[in-house]
Amino acid sequence: MATLRRLGEVPRHLLVCEKSNFGHEKSRHRHLVETHCHNYRVSFLIPECGILPKELKDLVMATGPYYFVKNLPLHELITYEFINTFVKKGSCYALTYNTNIDEDNTVALLPNGKLILSLDKDTYEETGLQGRPSQYSGRKAMKFSAEEATMMSYFSKYQIQEHQPKVVLRTLKDLQCPGLQSSELEGQPEAACSAGQLFDWLGAVFCNVDLNNEPDSFISTYCCPQPSTVVAKAYLCTITGFILPEKILGLLEHLCHYFDEPKLAPWVTLSVQGFADSPVSWRENEHGFRKGGEHLYNFVIFNNQDYWLQMAVGANDHCPP
Amino acid sequence: MPAPAATYERVVYKNPSEHHYMKVCLEFQDHHGIGLNTAQFKQLLITALKDLFGEVGAALPLDVLTYDEKTLSAILRICSSGMVRLWSSLTLLGSYKGKKCAFRVIQVSPFLLALSGNSRELVLD
Repeated sequence: MATLRRLGEVPRHLLVCEKSNFGHEKSRHRHLVETHCHNYRVSFLIPECGILPKELKDLVMATGPYYFVKNLPLHELITYEFINTFVKKGSCYALTYNTNIDEDNTVALLPNGKLILSLDKDTYEETGLQGRPSQYSGRKAMKFSAEEATMMSYFSKYQIQEHQPKVVLRTLKDLQCPGLQSSELEGQPEAACSAGQLFDWLGAVFCNVDLNNEPDSFISTYCCPQPSTVVAKAYLCTITGFILPEKILGLLEHLCHYFDEPKLAPWVTLSVQGFADSPVSWRENEHGFRKGGEHLYNFVIFNNQDYWLQMAVGANDHCPP
Repeated sequence: MPAPAATYERVVYKNPSEHHYMKVCLEFQDHHGIGLNTAQFKQLLITALKDLFGEVGAALPLDVLTYDEKTLSAILRICSSGMVRLWSSLTLLGSYKGKKCAFRVIQVSPFLLALSGNSRELVLD
């Protein structure tokens, strides 16, 4: 019986759903965006929109650049010169490239100046540093993001490349969108979908899943949560790379102002996915991979300045703040 | 009268997802393997479940949310209680119509949104 029970078990995962209003003094939206350091993918979805407004497009195109430095000895990150040139100015982020948090040594630099080293047992003993065991059980290539344009000249003796985030823009036609009420986080039967249902639906849209299956279909029975409406067109933008929280906050603030002029859309969404191999999720909370390494969040911005925020983490993560 | 601003509310759900999502890819040993359409692919999954877990396994609610015939890759949705059964069935499937093949599990998550991007696929050099 115990074996049968174990067959049905899955690693623990958490979904935090919050609702608030951007006008509230104590709204936590800024803090939560700013403390989620290593962001791989940012997407936003605007229903009833065929062309992206120019200011939003300019913001999207300005989310980079980030820098890739090969074979960088770690001691370069703790030199007086590096700390003065970049770290003290704030907004300097770094993460080792192509290291799996559950297998390899991983290093991350946070904007508050902290250097996080996630090391295997042998490396840890070699360094002679004092640390604590991971809660969940080099000469490295690193990717950087810093506000200063001097990054290229500072690391010129190593192989440094500048990269721009990849931007993909798509217009979706005849999209089934769930009906939501900003005051009803858990939905209302027949009247509004819940935050959890929206979160699933958003994943289906981003993954190009067919939303219109029959309940007796052999291939898939997935369909859009009800109640729903069909919108003639929707704009989907995805930015992939090493993206700063400051840029994400800029996008969020712009999307809040999307409704300054009357729009057909009742809400827009902004989703952010963190690097699966980052050693931290929010603030300095330890992050591990386990089976998925997911740590992501999503804003639903309503036309009355209310918002929902969903934060999702997997097994080897603390509860989001 | 416009509706009042929403009051702050926070709810933490532990293990809320009724389903788990898997991004998988079928690889044939011989690269000029046979093509499979969506229905044949789904039938292969059901066969894998049946081989290991019998009729009960084969009856697990399983959806092929997306399928790309060219790359033989798909996103699957399985009820959370059936995830271990599905994953182990995929691991132990060795052939299709006499040709050697293997399933590669690329990503797994209880959140479908997490499968829309894979940071381990970021290529910089």
